[in-house]
Amino acid sequence: MAIVVAGISHQGAALAVREKVAYRPAELVPTLSALRTESGLREGVLLSTCNRTELYAVEGDTDVAPGIWQTLSSRLGEEASAYGYVRRDRDAISHLFHVASGLDSMVLGEAQIHGQVRDAWAACRSESGAVLNRLFQTSLLVAGRVRSETAIGRGAASVSSAALQLARQIFGSLAGRRAMVLGAGEMAELALECLVNEGVRAAIVANRTYERAQALAARHGALAMHYDECWASLHEVDVLLCSTSAPRPVVTLERLQTAVSGRRDRPLCILDIAMPRDVDPAVGALDNVFLYDLDDLRAVVTTNVERRRSELPTAEDLIAREVERYWEWFTGLSAVPVLTHFRGEMEHLREREVATALRHLDHLTPADRAVVEQLSHSLMNKFLHGPTVRLRAAAANGRGLGIVDAVRYLFGLDDSSPAESSSDRDHHHDLT
Amino acid sequence: MIAIAHFVAISFYIGAAAVAATPFARPVGAPVRGVITLLAAGVVTHAIALVLFARSISAVPMTGLGPALSFAGFVLAATLLLVELLAQEVSLTLVAAPLAALPTTFANIIGLIPGREPPGVRGAWLFAHIALSFVGIAAFATAAAAGTMYLIERRELKSRRFGAIFRFFPPLATLDRVNHVAAIAGWLGLTLGVVLAGAYSIAYREMNLPQLMWGTGAWVAVSGIAVGRVLGGWQARRAAVYSSITFAAVLLLYVAIRVAGPAAGKFL
Repeated sequence: MAIVVAGISHQGAALAVREKVAYRPAELVPTLSALRTESGLREGVLLSTCNRTELYAVEGDTDVAPGIWQTLSSRLGEEASAYGYVRRDRDAISHLFHVASGLDSMVLGEAQIHGQVRDAWAACRSESGAVLNRLFQTSLLVAGRVRSETAIGRGAASVSSAALQLARQIFGSLAGRRAMVLGAGEMAELALECLVNEGVRAAIVANRTYERAQALAARHGALAMHYDECWASLHEVDVLLCSTSAPRPVVTLERLQTAVSGRRDRPLCILDIAMPRDVDPAVGALDNVFLYDLDDLRAVVTTNVERRRSELPTAEDLIAREVERYWEWFTGLSAVPVLTHFRGEMEHLREREVATALRHLDHLTPADRAVVEQLSHSLMNKFLHGPTVRLRAAAANGRGLGIVDAVRYLFGLDDSSPAESSSDRDHHHDLT
Repeated sequence: MIAIAHFVAISFYIGAAAVAATPFARPVGAPVRGVITLLAAGVVTHAIALVLFARSISAVPMTGLGPALSFAGFVLAATLLLVELLAQEVSLTLVAAPLAALPTTFANIIGLIPGREPPGVRGAWLFAHIALSFVGIAAFATAAAAGTMYLIERRELKSRRFGAIFRFFPPLATLDRVNHVAAIAGWLGLTLGVVLAGAYSIAYREMNLPQLMWGTGAWVAVSGIAVGRVLGGWQARRAAVYSSITFAAVLLLYVAIRVAGPAAGKFL
């Protein structure tokens, strides 16, 4: 029994490849069911996001990786394994813990993947058993600890999120605030969308071409204005976002001074994401005006990303400890069916030998026969107690697999033990 | 026992400030629950110390310099605990917990020697005046702490430095709101305290001029902020500067009167 992960991610495959092997939620369980039939998969969870498609599996005696590659290749139209990776046992466990914690994400420490892992597990519950259920449950707990005990997910990691982080640091929540966006291009639309999502109460879109401002405003429930009109409303806004393609600053010191004089002490946050800059840098010296340009936003992002990286060793230590804990449990699990089989074989042997002996001792009274039965039971339990305890201990401290194999070899236990049979999966379900 | 309880409370206050400062050493958030637990432990220990002291002198532990300073530290810590519990945000502890530890430490150093306290209704009157004045001063201190933090963070944001203060101080708007609420609470507490003190002076023909000067000075200062905020529309930097400077001036006035005043011994 082994834990395997095979898949394709942003680490080795371009978006065009990842798109082709992405699965919709409704496709997850049928894919796993087919793999169970074709590749001897015992348990499976399929994780499919925009950055990765990975299949976590518990395999029996047959290697499931070729079946997984075959499935992915059929969607891709070419050999999928050329873009992907296969990891087994400890490496597979460690991989999932890294993925769930956002350490394997395109943006280090991103939080979204935690929910995607949880959703994938939930969607595939009918195909997972004791091993994968515990693995995914642990991965989510590990991810939670990584997020709370390290700063791996703290701070904005993109320019737009850095802009929001700065605005939030001034106003707290942006809900109920007023915002004005200068410009109606792609960046302006993205910024306006972010602001609307943050709950700004009233947004104004101002652009040299009124029709473009009107179109953008209509898409996001904002108010459109022409450049010439918008300056009169500037004293009312809390956040001014500038993203025009003007060759020189459109927000001048004079315009801002007039606007600020009508604001009393209310702070104004100006986010200038245009290149060249839309805002005269002298504006930043005005009282209660907080001016940030692209360089400042990039500085925020760089600082945050560096800080996230500096937390990697702490996160790796935490994950390594949790991988060992899970591995101990998993190897301990492998001793259970062998022990059951081993004791079953011994019991069978005892019954046979006692029956043979009693056939030669037919003068014994029922009470004497019971004593002989009891003696055989007692002897067998005493003989097996030491090996049973040691086997359990060895399995628990991570040496289980080798010793389990040794027990199988020494006592001639074949692989068709009851616990390894088809009922094994149901038994594992019961362990959760 | 009383002194030990005081030192334990001081240790808890300093401990809470130290734990609240952990983000400066490592880029993780301050453990809110841990800081609040330490603050609560400090407040409880401090309360036990004051109750033990009150039992030992059979009077309310507010008169006399040592007891008054200890009570001031206690009220400030309790106010801080309340604010942090409501906000579930502990950066104010960085400034206010040491501010609570300071008078408590002085109280322990100079000794908890009780002042003379009149009995009956007169004693209750005096107790109410002192308690309300301390609540007012504690709220004023909270406003000043929030104002100081506002100014520090504003400076960081204006100069585009994105260090620990940027990451772990609360938003400017939150600090401004704490300053606003605390200024109003401070004004209410001090107004009632000063009115009771004035009425007490008239009723019993007892006038402590230095105390009256200091109390009136503190009331004028906190009234200035409250009126400015409510009627003058003060907010943000202006309110932060005014509350920080006036609270520092009120503290300096206290020290000056205490050291150089003609009735230094009688004054709190």
